[in-house]
Amino acid sequence: MRILVVEDEPKVASFIRRALEEESYAVDVCADGQQGQDWAQSIDYDLIVLDLMLPGIPGLELLKHIRKSGVKTPVMILTARSEVDQRVKGLDAGADDYLTKPFAIEELLARARALLRRAGGVPTGVLEVGDLVLNPVTREVTRGDQRIELTTKEYALLEYLMRNAGRVLTRPMITEHVWDLDFDTFTNVIDVYISYLRNKIDKGREQSLIQTVRGSGYVMRADV
Amino acid sequence: MSQASIRVRLTLWYGTALALILILFAGTIYFVISRGLRDQVDASLEEAASVAIRTLGEHRFGPFLIFEDLSQNFPELALLDKFFQIFGPAGQVTIQSANIKSREIPLSQTAFQASLKGQATFESVRFDEGVPFRLLSVPIRHTERLVSILRVGTSLYPTEKMLQRLLLALVIASPIAIIVSLLGGWFLAGRALMPVNVITCAAQRIADGDLTQRITSPRSSDEIGRLASVFNDMIARLEISFRQIRQFSADASHELRTPLTITKGETELALRRPREADDYRQVLESNLEEIDRMSRIVDELLFLSRADLGEIKMTMSPISLDSLVREVQLQATILGQDRQIETILGTVEPIVVDGDELRLRELLLNLVDNAIKYSHPNSQVELSLRQIDAQAELKVCDHGIGVSDLEQQRIFDRFYRTDTARAHASKGTGLGLAICQWIVDVHQGTIQMQSSPGAGSCFTVLLPLRAPVV
Repeated sequence: MRILVVEDEPKVASFIRRALEEESYAVDVCADGQQGQDWAQSIDYDLIVLDLMLPGIPGLELLKHIRKSGVKTPVMILTARSEVDQRVKGLDAGADDYLTKPFAIEELLARARALLRRAGGVPTGVLEVGDLVLNPVTREVTRGDQRIELTTKEYALLEYLMRNAGRVLTRPMITEHVWDLDFDTFTNVIDVYISYLRNKIDKGREQSLIQTVRGSGYVMRADV
Repeated sequence: MSQASIRVRLTLWYGTALALILILFAGTIYFVISRGLRDQVDASLEEAASVAIRTLGEHRFGPFLIFEDLSQNFPELALLDKFFQIFGPAGQVTIQSANIKSREIPLSQTAFQASLKGQATFESVRFDEGVPFRLLSVPIRHTERLVSILRVGTSLYPTEKMLQRLLLALVIASPIAIIVSLLGGWFLAGRALMPVNVITCAAQRIADGDLTQRITSPRSSDEIGRLASVFNDMIARLEISFRQIRQFSADASHELRTPLTITKGETELALRRPREADDYRQVLESNLEEIDRMSRIVDELLFLSRADLGEIKMTMSPISLDSLVREVQLQATILGQDRQIETILGTVEPIVVDGDELRLRELLLNLVDNAIKYSHPNSQVELSLRQIDAQAELKVCDHGIGVSDLEQQRIFDRFYRTDTARAHASKGTGLGLAICQWIVDVHQGTIQMQSSPGAGSCFTVLLPLRAPVV
């Protein structure tokens, strides 16, 4: 899951980034309205966290603009203004949620999960593929009755695969949703992480859940 | 309702004044007319008497003159409204005109005594039937001897009747006039007070918190119109200052929310799981920075609000600006060390101004601190002091990020920070230049900035020189 944080106050952006990264989201931070708008339009983010007071383009304008251009990514507004009409304006401009500063970090994370869950069409939030179960709230992964420990990156990759179970995911798609802008495209890091995951999930089991689609990418499925 | 009572009071005052005027007026009219009528009656009696005396004289006062002759010669004497009597020297009736008929009208003692002295007498008498008469008795003398007394009389009945009618008319007409004018006064007072009512309603709505309300008064130059426009001006000023206060507190809470968000967020994040000691140290350092920022905002806010209330004490004394500039330059050199920003002195002329040393030092330090904060690394900040006419010109110039023309207009506004300034130095509070502006204002000076984005800014402060001691 890849999240764009548009926030001009460096320290606020920094702790939001660290909190989200600890939850194994890939995070891009941008301090300028214009740049945020460009990124939101060119990269398929899973969630955008948007501050309203921004240099360049104000947050609300940015939001209206990307909605007009067809970006359907869930948007959570962050602002120091708590007046009702401000919240109404934000939600009417196309925001999906609204959080007033100062906020509790757990609330930000819970709301992010809720938005991602709604966008993914999984009502309970618990992802299941065959006997593999992933709970995004507790971040527990089990296969059968065996618990599996994963690093944040492995977890992020697995979550993305499971959310899109049955769909063939190309390497660029995986890059875009699991890694942030610092990702170096010319490495085989995706294949490396896939092999890590296979070792922890599929190794020694009858059914392999992660399958390679030759020439395209990977797919996660429980059937066949 | 005080408005209704003003209406009642106005009407009552008006009515009372009118009633008094009417009573005085009616009394005067009655008096003048009754007096006039009596004089008229008396004059006609005198005329009749003189005619009669002249006639008698032509007949040589013949005591035996019979009345028929008299009335034949002078038909006017037979007029119904007058009667004649001629008394003998002893007061007995000798002749009397026919229209007296059988009525006995004896000569009164007063008239007789006066006649003996040769004086004419007017009398008003009323007999049993109530018919009032006016009588004139005139002595007729011949060689100092009273020959006879001529009396002419007339009924006062028509006169009294007329006066009665006049009185009746006045008694009936005056209350009617008073009632009509009271009604008119009530109506007019209501009309005149209507705009007051409108103003009251508008004031009520404004008191309920809607400061956008204004009084609509069609008239503009009368007393009420002036009241309305003064009232509207006052509300407009109130609205502006309320809006400023709202903006100010919104800005203040926004400025405080940012450091709060950071401290809360950093702390919560640190507490989510066990961390390295170094991580905790970083969080604490960051929190300390934010706490400093908050206390700086609170201090500066407090200063500005006390300044607004006029509670900042200023001790004015002659200040040597050039030595102040040199002191500040030394401090600025230390401030700029981290980023290799050198503060240099340009022309510094010896100048003395009247001012508060503490505030002037604060002004200079704020400007220099500002210049260093927004300077490019390895650049210079220049301080200069010159005398221009009767003013001290203090200049602080930097080679920094600069400010666009549009932003320059708002640079002295409270909490205003340009986007580039926010991005450049997160430590600013947005209040420093507002405080500088205030300090310059209390010293009767001006402060201006010239700037070009990317190249740097120059702040120019002009302060009046110390008035020369005579």
